[in-house]
Amino acid sequence: MKWLDKITESRARKVAQSTSRRGFLGKLATVVVGTTAAVPLLPVARAEQAGGQQPAEEGDPNSCDYWRFCAIDGFLCGCCGGSINTCPPGTEMSPITWIGTCENPVDGRNYIISYNDCCGKTSCGNCLCQRNQGDRPIYRPQLANDLNWCLGTQSVAYNCSTAVVIGTALDE
Amino acid sequence: MLRGLALLILCALAFNVDAQDKRAYTNYMLHCQGCHLPQGEGALGAVPRLKNFVGYFLHSREGREFIAQVPGVTMSSLDNEELSELLNWMVRAYSEEQLPRQFMPYTSDEIEQLRKTPNPDPLGQRNSILDMVAEGLPELAEEIATDGYAY
Repeated sequence: MKWLDKITESRARKVAQSTSRRGFLGKLATVVVGTTAAVPLLPVARAEQAGGQQPAEEGDPNSCDYWRFCAIDGFLCGCCGGSINTCPPGTEMSPITWIGTCENPVDGRNYIISYNDCCGKTSCGNCLCQRNQGDRPIYRPQLANDLNWCLGTQSVAYNCSTAVVIGTALDE
Repeated sequence: MLRGLALLILCALAFNVDAQDKRAYTNYMLHCQGCHLPQGEGALGAVPRLKNFVGYFLHSREGREFIAQVPGVTMSSLDNEELSELLNWMVRAYSEEQLPRQFMPYTSDEIEQLRKTPNPDPLGQRNSILDMVAEGLPELAEEIATDGYAY
């Protein structure tokens, strides 16, 4: 096996003479930093990051004109004892939900809005809003807002709707 | 010089992958998440779970075809390229561990062909496909025995 030792030794010496350790470390660092910046490690972690981005907003969140309500069909939870992001006491937020996009006039960007319904009490009756942007007939159920979206909740009784920002849409 | 160029190309590729992932995730939010939920967790008895599960289907040809023939895929308003990108992202993001090691990403041509023939009985066929996969995959057999079919 001496020949193997010799080859290994001469190769190692050649590499040591023609490169520097610091240079190698520098290059390694460039690759590591470059790739982790461009490709964050876990796609799921990135998903949460996107969801956490909240926009600057203007206007009255208890009015039908408010930007987040561009596709709403229902009662605003903010007028029913809850808020634009939360359900009134005694109701349960439906996890299964109508999702669409609305343009925010403050920055002109499109955001992804989730219209989670609050369920478990009869219709609230305050602030009925119908804007229906992007609403589709019920034969495309994912995008139909005439359906009762109290799905996956204990009760199917519809009370009111929230409008939660869950991410930014891509600029087309 | 050459090495620098190679590094540049690598980084550019990485950015491209990132842009594709972002589009796939955005499309997931807009077209799937309303029912399959933010982490693919589904709703027992109402919406099939993707998380830690959907990858099992890719262990058989029937399962691979099944994924592209469920109503949410065949009736989607996304085009074939966006759909293949979304499915490839989704199975890795939510079910990497269940994927077979030799998983080959969907191509848009494949999606185009498969979605032409929607599965007429997805709920009926789902379990029989999973049973078939479980014959060669003890961890799935065990999961079905303890937790059921993730639906």
